[in-house]
Amino acid sequence: MEKHPAGPDGPKKAGDPRRPSVRAPGEALDSPAGSHVEWCKQLIAATISTQISDPALSKDSDGAALDDPEKFQVQVQLKDVALVTGESVQLRAQDVMYICPFSGLVTGMLTLTDYKLYFNSLEREPPFFLDVNLGAISRLETINVQSHGEDSRGLELVCKDMRSLRFAYKKEADQPELVDLLARYAFPLCKGLALFAFQYQEDFPVNGWTVYDPVMEYKRQGLPNESWALSRVNSSYQLCDTYPSLLVVPTCIPEDDLRRVAAFRAKHRIPVLSWIHPESQATIVRCGQPLVGPHDRRCKEDERLLQTVMDANAQSHKLLIFDARQSSVADTNKAKDGGYESESFYPNVELSFLEIPNIHVMRESLRKLKEVVYPTIDEASWHSSVHQTHWLEYIRLLLTGAVRIADRLESGKTSVVVHCSDGWDRTPQLTALAMLMLDSYYRTLQGFQVLVEKEWISFGHQFTARVGHGDEDHASSERSPLFVQFIDCVWQMTRQFPAAFEFNELFLVSVLDHLYSCLFGTFLCSSEREKGAQELQSKTKSLWSYINSQPEEFTNPFFVDQEHHVLYPLASSRHLELWTGYYARWNPRMRPQMPVQQSLKELLGLKLELQRKVEALQKEASLCDRASPPPHQGAAPLRTAPTCT
Amino acid sequence: MFTVRPLKPTFKSYLPPLQTDVKKSLHPPVKKLEATLLPGEIVVNEVNFVRKCIGAEKSHDDLWGKLICTNFKVSFVTHEALAQPRFQVSNRLLGEHDIPLACVDQVVTVNDAKGKKKVLGSNQKLKFNPSELILYCKDFRIVRFSFDEAGPEGAKKVCLAIAHYSRPADPQLLFGFELIGTRYLGSSEDGLNGARPAGGSQTPLFACSSDWDREIKRTGAAEWRVCSVNQGYGVSPSLPEFFVVPASLADQDLRQYAEAFSGQRLPVWCWNHPNGSALTRMAAITDPLQQKRLDQRICNAIIKSHPQRGDVHKADLDKNLPSLQQVNNSLVRLRHICVIDPFEETEEKWLSSVENSQWLDYVRTFLKHSCDVVYILEGLNASVILQEEEGRDLSCVVSSLVQIMVDPHFRSLSGFQSLVQKEWVMAGHRFLDRCNHLKKSDKEESPLFLLFLDCVWQLMNQYPSAFEFTETYLALLSDSMWVPVFSTFLFNGPKHHADTMHDFLEDKKITLGEGEELCLPPVWDWSQQLSVTDQALFNNPIYVGKAAPYAHNGAVKSFRRTKHKTWSSTLRGAPPSQTGWSSTLRGTPPALARNGLQGSQGTLPRRNSLAAQLKSDLFPVRDVPESPSERFARDWFSGPADPQGLLLPQLLPSHLALWRLYFLRWVPEAVIPRGGPVTAVHAVSQLAHEIETLQSQLRRYKGPTPGSTPRASPAGGPPGTPHAEPSRMFFKAGSLYEPSPPPEFLSSSFPFTPVGNLCRPNLRGTPISKLLNGAKTWLSTETLAGETA
Repeated sequence: MEKHPAGPDGPKKAGDPRRPSVRAPGEALDSPAGSHVEWCKQLIAATISTQISDPALSKDSDGAALDDPEKFQVQVQLKDVALVTGESVQLRAQDVMYICPFSGLVTGMLTLTDYKLYFNSLEREPPFFLDVNLGAISRLETINVQSHGEDSRGLELVCKDMRSLRFAYKKEADQPELVDLLARYAFPLCKGLALFAFQYQEDFPVNGWTVYDPVMEYKRQGLPNESWALSRVNSSYQLCDTYPSLLVVPTCIPEDDLRRVAAFRAKHRIPVLSWIHPESQATIVRCGQPLVGPHDRRCKEDERLLQTVMDANAQSHKLLIFDARQSSVADTNKAKDGGYESESFYPNVELSFLEIPNIHVMRESLRKLKEVVYPTIDEASWHSSVHQTHWLEYIRLLLTGAVRIADRLESGKTSVVVHCSDGWDRTPQLTALAMLMLDSYYRTLQGFQVLVEKEWISFGHQFTARVGHGDEDHASSERSPLFVQFIDCVWQMTRQFPAAFEFNELFLVSVLDHLYSCLFGTFLCSSEREKGAQELQSKTKSLWSYINSQPEEFTNPFFVDQEHHVLYPLASSRHLELWTGYYARWNPRMRPQMPVQQSLKELLGLKLELQRKVEALQKEASLCDRASPPPHQGAAPLRTAPTCT
Repeated sequence: MFTVRPLKPTFKSYLPPLQTDVKKSLHPPVKKLEATLLPGEIVVNEVNFVRKCIGAEKSHDDLWGKLICTNFKVSFVTHEALAQPRFQVSNRLLGEHDIPLACVDQVVTVNDAKGKKKVLGSNQKLKFNPSELILYCKDFRIVRFSFDEAGPEGAKKVCLAIAHYSRPADPQLLFGFELIGTRYLGSSEDGLNGARPAGGSQTPLFACSSDWDREIKRTGAAEWRVCSVNQGYGVSPSLPEFFVVPASLADQDLRQYAEAFSGQRLPVWCWNHPNGSALTRMAAITDPLQQKRLDQRICNAIIKSHPQRGDVHKADLDKNLPSLQQVNNSLVRLRHICVIDPFEETEEKWLSSVENSQWLDYVRTFLKHSCDVVYILEGLNASVILQEEEGRDLSCVVSSLVQIMVDPHFRSLSGFQSLVQKEWVMAGHRFLDRCNHLKKSDKEESPLFLLFLDCVWQLMNQYPSAFEFTETYLALLSDSMWVPVFSTFLFNGPKHHADTMHDFLEDKKITLGEGEELCLPPVWDWSQQLSVTDQALFNNPIYVGKAAPYAHNGAVKSFRRTKHKTWSSTLRGAPPSQTGWSSTLRGTPPALARNGLQGSQGTLPRRNSLAAQLKSDLFPVRDVPESPSERFARDWFSGPADPQGLLLPQLLPSHLALWRLYFLRWVPEAVIPRGGPVTAVHAVSQLAHEIETLQSQLRRYKGPTPGSTPRASPAGGPPGTPHAEPSRMFFKAGSLYEPSPPPEFLSSSFPFTPVGNLCRPNLRGTPISKLLNGAKTWLSTETLAGETA
């Protein structure tokens, strides 16, 4: 297996770095996935540790190297980058300066591939190394670096993952312009190229595309049943092009009615079932806003559909509609042909607004947050700075809304309808969180993947527009970190219930990194229809293939399965924290010095070893025929078998 | 001794009062409700048919019972059980609803009908009949009693008694004295809770010279000696009878110098760094004429005591740290936002309010300053004098923090306790005044000890496997300040302790026989307060410790005497003990004890060349140039941390967190049912318990064959301890290999519970109260112990 490039004794591959060749066949990785895990780990901590490394130190050890470019180059050549399958080097540039906000200038080699930008330098001990997924780049800017020499050029990479990297380099005549090349591979869709995911050729032992099978998932929930049917009305996306082909709708509603309802709901997103309570049969139903308009348009079929949703649950004679929006915004929408259900037309319906601001507010909040955490932490007034971004306030709103939904289902045994405007932004945030609270299956590693595939991907969250994959229009008002917010909420829950989730923080960070990376097809499209049209399943790899090839890396050693236990996180400012492990991870000073999970893994390893010893001794004892019964039930089968090195 | 009081203890009140005007149906049958009294405890006043507010106004969950004021506590006795689940670690000195008088901060009486409210002080009059009593406690609790069905006169009397008795005029009136007095006079034959008065604790108290001798040996401070010049407190009234000074200073010199120091507090030794640098503390020199000369002499003596004649640095604490008053005001503000201001109103601007309280700022300042001192000791190989006007407040915090950061011994339970004894109790911290036990002057009150515990918690939060004890321990220790029976927190120094004791014996006309001793127990006698089962709450399941180079566990080992260069490598590299890690529960091998990050392992050797690095310059990336100590810290952070080595806290504001267990444990709205960090502890404890069980199984197999393999050291015990060792874990694995889910009673407040505390209006109907209603009931620790056994 290839070691991590940043490792102190990383592989010293020889070869001409100038030749933009594809990797030699002999370099094939035994366990490419493994190296990715290392890469992820590095994202959390190790990159950071190299960034802190001392630039001055090298002056003592190999100060000569700095003055002697030839000697230095030889050293740099020794250090090569590990490429993923399908990745090829596009450009190498020597003597590039990385302007590190934490430790100053560092000179080294920049390697640009069609997937990443790498920068490494042997100037420091341990060697300095960093890489950026081109997919994470939001915008490229040239900056003024006159101070670094006359013909120097400066480049800033503003990234979606909260960092901004600045480089200074000298333009060499025989080389293509770095900025142009970067733009070409960072924004391939604007240059008529495909995203890198379509080139990525890794073979994983498991196929992540099979993780989510809607029929199986609905079967797990006990569907279909007498009230709810699996409908093929949208089998070729004729009813709603952003909904999945398989929908769960009330049995007694004819397809024609559904079509009429579709015409009455924003983006034809009709009310469909997302989740059903195994005992009370109360359901979470999601949809787009009703197109009520200023003249209070009605749709009998829609009213009947919601009535049926309520009737399907014998435990309650009420139906709750949670409109995620701010009520004022919903009113504005009403004037523009949107709107919300009127309690006078929908009997026994109770409508509440969750008062969550829109995508633009969220985007702005994250932008402010970046200012607070990158590159330096605002020391003087940290808490009030964080407060002023309102980021945690919105997290609190989301969690509060989800807790209310979950509580109405669990304690009130009442069915709930959730929508926002189009039903693809705040709606999946809320339904997915509520489902995570209600259903312990979604708190497992596999279950969480199902949740994301179902509530976000198959139900048409606009990943393409919200993330802006391969698109250079960084100012697009369609971009918004809604999925990041969702993962943040999940992280908040894992903080409050450290033993209730099977996955760990690395998993959540990895999911977010690959939200942007364009390495996997998982988050590339905005609907199931689009995903099929682009043949993502056959042409790209799933993120879950990568995750599930080494689940032990992403599992939480604290996890204790609590079936049928509802989790109510406390949506209080007193318990919400800024997820510095994600947002501020580029700051070397934010590195955790002593992760608990490591100690715990060691304990688990120790336990297994002891178990083995005890079992061996028991065997020995029984062979010696001591005729005494073995003490206790030491030979019981092992429940957990995490491997530990 | 309570004859001063206008209120006479009335034994009539034991009988249920004749209350003809009370509607029977409202109350449970009147059974005899009596307070459980400790030896020497007497009932001052009591009133029946009191309602303890559990939920909010007129709640069904409220408890009916009798409110009793004794000379020790405010007791509420009831036959009813709480309708809601409750897990509260039980204090053996107190009943479920009891509050020690010393814990009562403010007594507020309210008359709803008249809209009147009065804060009661000592010997005051109350012109209205109270309908409600609210007790604001020092530990952040707020308890409310309602008198709507109680006799108005009785209620008034109890309120006045509580107000009066919670402000004793003299330390002798603190209950601890009554307790030992009664015990001595033979009214109770055995010690409290079966513990011997002063025995049972393994913690060195540093009241005798041998404890100091051992500490000198342990740290290898060869050039320092114990001096007994202050025996009988002839020289300084606030220094202990024995303290440690440079060997080059003669007793005669010391006597002569003492006069020049504030409070005659000579410079005293605290601790030696393994490289020979010493940590000392000193009061201000009051005589300006002598200042320079004396300063020089002291410094020279300290330099002489350094094996490499290392330099001496002075840290002026008064200049660099917040004042006592500032710290106190900060806690007042924090208390407001945590427990007094309405929950919902503070939600919105919580972060800013926390910032405004400045508490975390102060925590950070103290930690930062301690880091600077560590840098001088470790990075500059120089000795440090902590200088403070009186040398018994701020320097207690800093000197203990420095020692915790550098010396892993003080991160063990007994080490930590000895540290508090050494740097606080014996160093003459004015606990009586700072705790304001007598409530004489609020000016002297300052929660420095709590601030210190918070600082320790921050370290613990950042290095979870480096401490033998848990945050529960810290919280319980802090609560013990308000149980006035322990010598630890009742006096303004060792002399004050001795004098008070002497006066007490005289007043009581007690003559002690030869070798007889009468003293208050130290708080370290935990069995006075907690059952053995509950004491397991102290143990951190992921502590990595006993296999450390200078493990102490019973046998005191000396520091490895190292020349300054090898210190870092000894600690951070491979510890000498290479026992197979598979055989020791909490001793992980060095390679694995690190955080296992690739990039960082390569940095290890660099630590040795610290001095070389300090010379070289940084690129100017920041406007403010880095200070050498920041540089030192940054360098340290670039490598992995060894839980048994030097630990520096990360000090960005984003690294410091509010100690939620302590500050929010009584707030019902802030509780996460079945959640919180304790659920992780629960999971790890079970694992640790399984490992303990497996190890004992292994021993059973290996035991009979002599010399088969060197026996592994079991968790927490020295090699060769008896086989059947009680588990150190509070939570035990149910059946082997099957981790069980967190029990219902766990919450983010565990082992405390807000149920029945801090009940403000508007609580009912919140999701929390609903959630709490749904769960099972856990009444006491005993239930739990029975369940898990």
